[in-house]
Amino acid sequence: MRAPDTLLVTGATGLVGSGVVTRLLRAHPALHVAALARDPARLAAVAAREGWGARVLPVPGDVALPGLGLASLDRTRLARTASAVLHCAADTVFSRPLAEARRTNTDGTRHLLEVVDAWRRPVRVAHVSTAFVAGRATGDIAEGASDGAHGWVNGYERSKWEAEALVRAHAPGAVVLRSSTIVADTDGTVRQHNAVHRALRAYHAGLAAMLPGTPGGALDTVPGDWTCDAIARLALAPDAAGLTFHLCAGAGALPLDELLDRTWARWARDESWRRRGVARPAIADLGTWTLFERSVHETGNARLTRVLSALSHFVPQLALPKRFETANVERLLGAGAPPVRDYWDAMLADLLASSWGARAAGGERAA
Amino acid sequence: MPATPQDARVTSVGISAIQYLFAGQPVPLAELAARGALESDAGLLADFGFERVHVADREAPYDLALAAARRLLDEHCVDPASVDAILVGASPSAMSFAPAREAREAAAALLTTRRFQYAASRLQFDLGCDGAALLGLDQLACTTLFGAVRVARALVAAEGMRRVLCVASEFFPARAGREALWNLTSDAACALLVERDAPVNRVRALRTVSKGYYWDGDARREEVVASYFPTALHVVDRTLADAGWSRADVDWVVPHNVSSRSWAVLMGLLRLPRARLWDANIAARGHSLAGDNFINLRDATERGDVRPGERVLLFSYGYGAHWTAMAVEA
Repeated sequence: MRAPDTLLVTGATGLVGSGVVTRLLRAHPALHVAALARDPARLAAVAAREGWGARVLPVPGDVALPGLGLASLDRTRLARTASAVLHCAADTVFSRPLAEARRTNTDGTRHLLEVVDAWRRPVRVAHVSTAFVAGRATGDIAEGASDGAHGWVNGYERSKWEAEALVRAHAPGAVVLRSSTIVADTDGTVRQHNAVHRALRAYHAGLAAMLPGTPGGALDTVPGDWTCDAIARLALAPDAAGLTFHLCAGAGALPLDELLDRTWARWARDESWRRRGVARPAIADLGTWTLFERSVHETGNARLTRVLSALSHFVPQLALPKRFETANVERLLGAGAPPVRDYWDAMLADLLASSWGARAAGGERAA
Repeated sequence: MPATPQDARVTSVGISAIQYLFAGQPVPLAELAARGALESDAGLLADFGFERVHVADREAPYDLALAAARRLLDEHCVDPASVDAILVGASPSAMSFAPAREAREAAAALLTTRRFQYAASRLQFDLGCDGAALLGLDQLACTTLFGAVRVARALVAAEGMRRVLCVASEFFPARAGREALWNLTSDAACALLVERDAPVNRVRALRTVSKGYYWDGDARREEVVASYFPTALHVVDRTLADAGWSRADVDWVVPHNVSSRSWAVLMGLLRLPRARLWDANIAARGHSLAGDNFINLRDATERGDVRPGERVLLFSYGYGAHWTAMAVEA
């Protein structure tokens, strides 16, 4: 596919969106980007940081608003010039209540598709989704539509599933890019802290008694830089049309036992930490984890309750073992995501060196 | 962690007799709440499996220790002169001899020469175990009797002893209420007879992990709670491995009487059926420093629940902090 003249991008200020825009501009010298911006000042800061220059045009708007909140002039201009859409905007907070998550994720996607529909011409739609639209499903997860029969762990997963369903219904030729959880770059640099890092911090603090999981269960994560590379290559690829891609570790996911052992070994290089005798968390079935969680809440212990609350919207996934198939990714990119163990130790080192992100304002660091 | 010698050269010992005594009358949860003796809501503790506990008042820890030890010797027709050693875990010296209601005064007496009045010495005399070596154990909290069995085992192996009487009697601190980490506490004493080549309750393995980082249990409360379960799993698995047992081989888990809720979590982590946990005493007796596991083992055996030859796992945790497990062949 010839690079579009103008690519409408939502979520261009986010970790993934900004990384993908940078790569697309580099790969396609004639490309211009119309970046939907709820916060123009933030977009300007990201643009300056990334060195985008004049090829990225801010377009005031908000996915949460009907018509993307576009001004009439912008609506008209996009209808005339945009030939592709990259939808990265999302609320990725796992603990967000469903109704709130839907405002950005489901409704935001609907608003975008309505705008695109109004252009009445073929438009490449590249939709950044999450591998965890699979929700509570277990086993092999195919690179294709998910029926949602198993339900979901949190509002984020469900709202993203709903968004994906809208994309499939309204843009059947769309490229659906399902990212696993981004924890670091391939060199271990952590650019944005999330529930995985919070769980690791609880472990380091000696406050993680157990995690839900199953024998043979594994944690699937991906590096941010690899993910941005993959999206940039696939979003506009001619032979990607209508396909779903799992940007996931897949076979390279890290078994939970190994994750806990590796992590313990890394922490234990610090003698003062080792001498505290912090135990490797136990792996509990979901029922036992739920009972423990409930018991802690009932005791009213504020600190432990806070720790468990931070984990509760994500860790149940660990007890729902799944393996994401990655054949489409491997076929079109030539290789899948790096195995988690390739960057896990470096990520742990980065977390310690940065004091769990304390030295980066807002916990987000420049790409 | 130093390994506990588990090879074939270790002499076989068993716990041939157990006797115990609880203080006073049982006090129900509601009354404890009315007395202001609880940190948590009584409803929570009820949900966690507690109903009542024994609270000492006029009794002294030594009174219960002596009574339990005497009953044991009488019940099993043990000649006091045949006891080679007495291991005692008790309230500090003079406090051991004072009624619970006078604990404050007794604590002050520790600043006098009454500091040198020892329960072990007095037991030796009062029981007539005139040839028994004496040792005191401290700083093991609720795992004291496990520590005593460990030492007894070593004395049998190293010094050729035949019979070691282990006694624990320490009341919950008088000004600490009745609750420890969401567990209701009782006052009691327990006595064991550890014997070479005992035909019952043969000790197949015994392991303890002590983590001194948790020496200040109050300041590190959340970390203690978080470490409790995974460390318990670790100690249990190592003990079972030492005994040559798998988890599935365990017929009974005889607990220390922390909450039923806590045990439900631990049994879940062990992936053992709840039915294998002998928890009949948690509601009625609560948790004592004296040695729940051994009290429960006696009761479980008397009721016919634990049968000869069955494989029994005992596990306890004590402030300090100590996690300990013992594999016993009934």
